Amino acid sequence: MDAMAAVKQTFFQECEEQLAELETGLLAMERGEAESDTVNAVFRAVHSIKGGAGAFSLEDLVQFAHVFETTLDHVRNGALEPTADVMGVMLRAADLLADLVAAARDGLSVDSGRSEVLVTELTALSPGGVGADTEEEDDLSDFSFTPVTVAFDFSDAPADAGRSYTITFKPRPELYAKGNETALVLRELERLGQMETSCDASALPQLAELDPEGAYLEWTIRLTTEKGEDAIREVFEFVEWDSSLTIQASDADADVDSGAGSTEDAFAALLRSIQGDETALPTATAEIIPLPLAEEREAVVEVEAQPAKASAARNGSGGANANANAAAPQTIRADLERVDRLIDLVGELVINQAMLSQRVMEAGHVPGSAVALGLDELEHLTREIQDCVMAIRAQAVKSVFQRIPRLVREVASMTGKQVRLITDGEGTEVDKTVIDRLNDPLTHMIRNAIDHGLEKPEVRIAAGKPAEGVVRLSAMHRSGRIVIEVADDGAGINRARVKAIAAEKGLIAADAALSDEEIDNLIFLPGFSTASEVSNISGRGVGMDVVKRSIQGLGGRLSITSRPGKGSTFTMSLPLTLAVLDGMVVTVADQTLVVPLTAIIETLQPKPADVHGLGGGARVIAIRDTFTPLIDVGRELGFRNTATDPLVAVAILVETEGGRRSALLVDTIQGQRQVVIKSLESNYRHVPGIAAATILGDGRVALIIDVDTVIANSQSDATILEPVLAAAG
Amino acid sequence: MTTVSDPSQRILELAAVLDFRAAAPLTESLLAMRGTALTIDASRVERIGGQCLQVLLSAQQTWSADETALSFTNMTPGFVEGLRLLGFSEADFTREEMPE
Repeated sequence: MDAMAAVKQTFFQECEEQLAELETGLLAMERGEAESDTVNAVFRAVHSIKGGAGAFSLEDLVQFAHVFETTLDHVRNGALEPTADVMGVMLRAADLLADLVAAARDGLSVDSGRSEVLVTELTALSPGGVGADTEEEDDLSDFSFTPVTVAFDFSDAPADAGRSYTITFKPRPELYAKGNETALVLRELERLGQMETSCDASALPQLAELDPEGAYLEWTIRLTTEKGEDAIREVFEFVEWDSSLTIQASDADADVDSGAGSTEDAFAALLRSIQGDETALPTATAEIIPLPLAEEREAVVEVEAQPAKASAARNGSGGANANANAAAPQTIRADLERVDRLIDLVGELVINQAMLSQRVMEAGHVPGSAVALGLDELEHLTREIQDCVMAIRAQAVKSVFQRIPRLVREVASMTGKQVRLITDGEGTEVDKTVIDRLNDPLTHMIRNAIDHGLEKPEVRIAAGKPAEGVVRLSAMHRSGRIVIEVADDGAGINRARVKAIAAEKGLIAADAALSDEEIDNLIFLPGFSTASEVSNISGRGVGMDVVKRSIQGLGGRLSITSRPGKGSTFTMSLPLTLAVLDGMVVTVADQTLVVPLTAIIETLQPKPADVHGLGGGARVIAIRDTFTPLIDVGRELGFRNTATDPLVAVAILVETEGGRRSALLVDTIQGQRQVVIKSLESNYRHVPGIAAATILGDGRVALIIDVDTVIANSQSDATILEPVLAAAG
Repeated sequence: MTTVSDPSQRILELAAVLDFRAAAPLTESLLAMRGTALTIDASRVERIGGQCLQVLLSAQQTWSADETALSFTNMTPGFVEGLRLLGFSEADFTREEMPE
């Protein structure tokens, strides 16, 4: 990467952080907690983005940020009251600013139409309007770099001239999986004006290779419309996350850098400014940003270079953060690749240390000898290093949670529902590998909670509830896992209807006797649907099935509890990291396997009187007056054909999703240890019943059991057992 | 979807709603008839979506590669309108893919 690109990348990372500050601050203001520190933090976020964007000649960004900032300035100096209406516009402006940043980063087209609408709204809010004072170049002099030419020419971009746009749209499979449909999108688009559509099917495979649920086609649409680009964006609003989309106005292909000097010039100016007294531009080092208001107090030194929020330091609100600048801990920005390499190496170290221990024991050193004691210390140290290294990559879930308010606003307006989002535990940390994969399932769960969970305002009022529904999103650590809950105060699951539909679709027998919990879990079945009409927001039951599978793919569990009239709570529980695991090492048919410790409740030696055969090879074990299915791991995984004698084996009592208990029968227990997870999929292929693999001290590969799948696979036995157990229990 | 047995020419009747749920069964039905001359009857079709369009286009391509005839018949206004929205015309589906 060349130096310019590196600085630019840093700028966009900083933008992400500023946008997070902005959102947090605006939401605080919306709740009526608009202290001057909060307003200042919000102002500063927009101002910083504008400044950085100016250095890179990102004109659209600069122009919009300028208008936004001017309106914010009126709030800051008390000329504009932050009422609910005002905050609504501000929040939408923040959404657009985020989109402009993303568009600038990805080199996509910029929504001039949407900008215009919001610029008009922001201008209308300002006492006297801000439209007139757009030539405030001196405003940029807050920054020490050379300001670029800024032309505020929104008036030159009329939206009413029947402009032509070229739109390319390539859906991804998720678009269809979430119940959206290209044909419907195109029909909506056609309503905007004159449209010509062509389809590129060159990526389409032959039928035998075709995934019917895949997405291979790409459409190019030439649209002439009097509506602006914002109207076009609106059509794609709910599918743009699941597709590749570009929108290009036919007269918008002018060089964005024109008038702003060459890239080299901008970079030279940038370097000069970096080498100067004040460093205003976001760089990889500490930065000093003068507070924008002269009367504010002396400049505050802000050491703020967050390695993608690697520390938990910044879990306060924007306002608190502005206050606490002096006390903020020093941080450095590190390349994620280096951290990942470090984590890999420490993983190897852990394996190596285990191998060394084993060699020492084999060499005849007794425990307690000097060598063995030294090794114990090494083990402690290794473990500590591993914990520390993992902590470097840990991130607060805030980075995921901060995208949710916008989603809630969009889905609420789409469904005509009133929603208040309450978040809790944003500072809860989890490994980056997990964070990166949280967004999709969470997005779908939130959409589902609003679309299917909450009732319409009139229905709520009729039920004696406030018109405004509440969706509560919370994160917490619980027994070595992270638990994320999405709770709504809606109508709860209509169990009679769910059951009837499942029976109608042939998912269950019509006369099946199911517990409430089992009925609730029917919504996770593939193809299950309760929506009588197709909804383009949360799709159908197909979505919850996808959510559940993606969470299981992360080694997590998804469960639901629901109370009629009170609402539903979806709980996902995920491992804190996908890199290491505490496991119990066991032997089954001469194979070494690892059972994740989080699933284990206790281990026991079966006694003859406790084990009961039920025919068909099924057995149960009595544990303190309850009967628990006994699963022979050796048979279940195909290691042996004959049943293990439980009296010479060990039973491991495990708890699965939904709290159901089973006992896994293994030959012997070797011990408990932390293992480094190596993906079986990427190194070999997926094996049912096996979650991953690890390398043991003796260099052999041991498979890590996927407890839930092993138990689910033996479910056919369990179904036979149900009535027996019910009678016995 | 039903099929009418005819030793020389087989007919596949498309379902009324060709949405994302219909894509997998449609693929299966088509694969089961691969290698035979096929007429696809669109007389019941009310609407068609992107994924079923993919399946039909892929079938055209496959039959053509197999040098086997594939034709569409009884196209309803709903089917033609769906094709038009997705950038295709009736003509794209009336050219009979004939061997030789």
